[in-house]
Amino acid sequence: MIASVVATLAEVGDAFQAIVDEFADVPGVEIGDVGNDARRVPITIDSPAPNALEEVTRRLLECRGVAFVDVVFVHFEDEPESQAAANPGEMDKS
Amino acid sequence: MNGDLQPAAEAIQRRQFIKASAMAAATAVAGGTNFTLPVLADEPAAGVQWEKAPCRFCGTGCHVQVGVQEGKVVAVAGDRNAEVNKGLLCVKGYHVGAALYGKDRLTKPLLRDGDRYREISWEEAIKTIADRIEAAPERFAFYGSGQWTIPEGYAAQKFMKGGLSNNHIDPNARLCMASAVTGFLATYGVDEPAGCYDDLDECDVLIMWGNNPAEMHPVLFSRVIDRRSRREKITLIDISTRRTRTTEACQHYLEMKGHGDLAIANGIAHLLIKNGTYDRRFVESFCNFKASDDENPNLHGKAISFDDYRKSLEPYTPEYVEELSGVPADQIRMLGDLFGNPKLKITSLWCMGMNQHTRGTAINSMVHGVHLLSGHFGTPGNAPTSLTGQPSACGTVREVGTLAHALPGGRVVANAEHRQQAEDFWNVPTGRINAVPGHHTVKMWESFCTPTDQGGDIGTIWVQVTNPGQTLPNLNKLFNPKGDNKAGLEDKFLIVSDVYPTATTRLADLILPSAMWVEKNGVVGNSERRTQQWFKMVDPPGAARDDCWQTIAVAHELFNRGMAGMKDRDGQFLFDVKDENDKSVPVWDWEHYYDVNVDEHLFEEYRQFSRLKHKDLAPYSEYVKARGLRWPVVEIDGQWQETHFRFSEGFDPYVEPGKEIQFYHSSTHDDRAQIWFHPWIAPAEVPDDDYPFMLCTGRVLEHWHSGSMTRRIPELSRAMPGGYLEIHAADAAAHDLRNGDKVTIESRRGSLVIPVWIDGRGQPPRGTVFIPFFDETLLVNDLTLDALDPFSKQPDYKKSAVRIRKV
Ligand code: SF4
Repeated sequence: MIASVVATLAEVGDAFQAIVDEFADVPGVEIGDVGNDARRVPITIDSPAPNALEEVTRRLLECRGVAFVDVVFVHFEDEPESQAAANPGEMDKS
Repeated sequence: MNGDLQPAAEAIQRRQFIKASAMAAATAVAGGTNFTLPVLADEPAAGVQWEKAPCRFCGTGCHVQVGVQEGKVVAVAGDRNAEVNKGLLCVKGYHVGAALYGKDRLTKPLLRDGDRYREISWEEAIKTIADRIEAAPERFAFYGSGQWTIPEGYAAQKFMKGGLSNNHIDPNARLCMASAVTGFLATYGVDEPAGCYDDLDECDVLIMWGNNPAEMHPVLFSRVIDRRSRREKITLIDISTRRTRTTEACQHYLEMKGHGDLAIANGIAHLLIKNGTYDRRFVESFCNFKASDDENPNLHGKAISFDDYRKSLEPYTPEYVEELSGVPADQIRMLGDLFGNPKLKITSLWCMGMNQHTRGTAINSMVHGVHLLSGHFGTPGNAPTSLTGQPSACGTVREVGTLAHALPGGRVVANAEHRQQAEDFWNVPTGRINAVPGHHTVKMWESFCTPTDQGGDIGTIWVQVTNPGQTLPNLNKLFNPKGDNKAGLEDKFLIVSDVYPTATTRLADLILPSAMWVEKNGVVGNSERRTQQWFKMVDPPGAARDDCWQTIAVAHELFNRGMAGMKDRDGQFLFDVKDENDKSVPVWDWEHYYDVNVDEHLFEEYRQFSRLKHKDLAPYSEYVKARGLRWPVVEIDGQWQETHFRFSEGFDPYVEPGKEIQFYHSSTHDDRAQIWFHPWIAPAEVPDDDYPFMLCTGRVLEHWHSGSMTRRIPELSRAMPGGYLEIHAADAAAHDLRNGDKVTIESRRGSLVIPVWIDGRGQPPRGTVFIPFFDETLLVNDLTLDALDPFSKQPDYKKSAVRIRKV
């Protein structure tokens, strides 16, 4: 799974660098160039784990100052074939 | 050794390349610089071909770039060139490609044989449908969808109304946005929003009336949040019956009881008049007043004076509104002050909360009314705008008119002139179109589930692209009245075209495997009047075929059998498609279906209708070039130009110079809109001693509607695996419930055993519970009420009285 997302920050003021450092601690992510516009942060996710994207997205959303995480790009060719979550008619009813 | 290393090195190089591309795309979106994905295709290491398509899921209508390699969708990216989403996608959108590849795709026609299915050929399937129709054409019904593409819906519409003289065609959109349609018609005399998504970029105040765009239209909501992060001042107000993810981002949360919105709208209008802050000039220039005509109930009601209107509103003081709605009087005053401030630009958004409502037409009209009364209309950022849940609820249902009473282009079957226009466009004999509206959705299914000898006049239903076995209300009455015992209904026959097994295919007599999304050509219309086109990119699996082909193939089988309705005035087949040499192409034969672009042929024929009510569409070829265009699209100086804001001079080409605002389809024929008074009325069912909780149903971010596609996507299924009952912590404590405990929830119509999630994804207030409807193993619609709005015939899924008991 290779993907990229953009994290949109709420007003964070001086805490910007600390927040970006917090992002960098999330496994499998790489932070892009934030340029002069320090409110939208491009991030790539490269992980063999099939649920890396939602896991990383969830962790980014939990970081302070993050208002939204949008996905920009997903390459799922290397993943195992998407599977039915079994026939829903036969799903565990719990 | 070299031979082993080289592929590995290539794989690394390729991976690095993909990663670099991913970063480039994200950097471009974040920084607002230019970046186009097709650059990937130029890179030999990638080998991926990129083409545009709208997302398959919600009515936002984001555009994606679809990466195809060796006949398979391998990547998806937000389309940077798309105005709607500017390169972004939500959690569902980025998995849209995976929706094609669930391992239980339907790949063969299946005919019920006792309690089993046997595989049959397409030829046998088409003949089986033709047999059912030929035997009793008047007992046949077509149940379609806001996911039908425009050509698919148009073909079904023409087949039924122009071929079979049968108006029993209705879509699932009856269940989600019919009240928005009647609200627009009652107010402006013509359907669909005046504004567009640009209003979200311009408004100072955004009011969400009972909707949760953070989960249901996430990219639109992200667009708003992005403004705030740029330090633009925007006030977000959430009026809702429960806290949701949208609430978290809003400055104001107004928690109301069900039907509280009727009181709130009246409370705002009351204050505008009492405080003298309504826009007198706007009202006197552009508006009339209306109230319902109780002696002769009809969509256009009766005229009243401003004074009558004012008097009707007198009781709706903030304190009385608080009593009715549960929203504190101070918050009602805040809304009154905001609407009374002409310097602010105010946009209202709504979706199912106002539409799935037994007074849906009324509340839709009333929200338009507060915008008109306060003059918050007709300039960028000042707009009342309804959103749709499906990708083509607007394009296919509202514009093509795949409703039991409608014809394409805003025409209706009951009007002789309208019928004649359609008969002329279709070149069918005068009198071919039946003047009597067909059965709306609830009536259609009720009739299908009623034994023939007891008046059930629908014998066969063909369902395409929807899942009524999960989404109809009161399923024990409208879909499966006898459980697995069909006694008395043995003569009924259910045909279902779909891509996966669903709660509907479970009871089908004939199942047809369909192509989906980029496995076929398509054109759809999103919530902001934007018509979007794409081309087929990959083949469907097995014997799956386009829904449109299925309809045409059945029509041709009936034509071959000599059914008069399948011929036009010249004796030609109703769906005669010619190639560039003017030679008929046998498109009913699958081998030849893609010899020509059938979508283009149907779209160009349909386009004639679009001009009848100033919803002009451009030629098909213009949509091939664009990321959608908002109608009316008119040709000016050789350029096809879209319309951002309707009825407003300088934006709408149909507004006459000097008119400023012109409601040119006014139901009173005086270029004015109607401001409605409707009284507050209690919901159709309210909690009592026996059923003390109010149940609301709805959706979640991860799953799209009934989950038949998104539950096949492992990532989404893991993120939100199953249905649950959301309950307030105090109510849970009172019933000795902890997270994960199971409860039996019962209504007067059915019951369900379901796990509890205390304060779950949203937080319902005390006395209310919420269940999402995406999980087909936990059919919440066994519980819901089938009470309807009297005009839109849309049911209320948001207010059913229930009781709960720990298992
Ligand atoms: S917001 Fe809707 S249209 Fe956009 S990516 Fe998400 S599901 Fe698709």
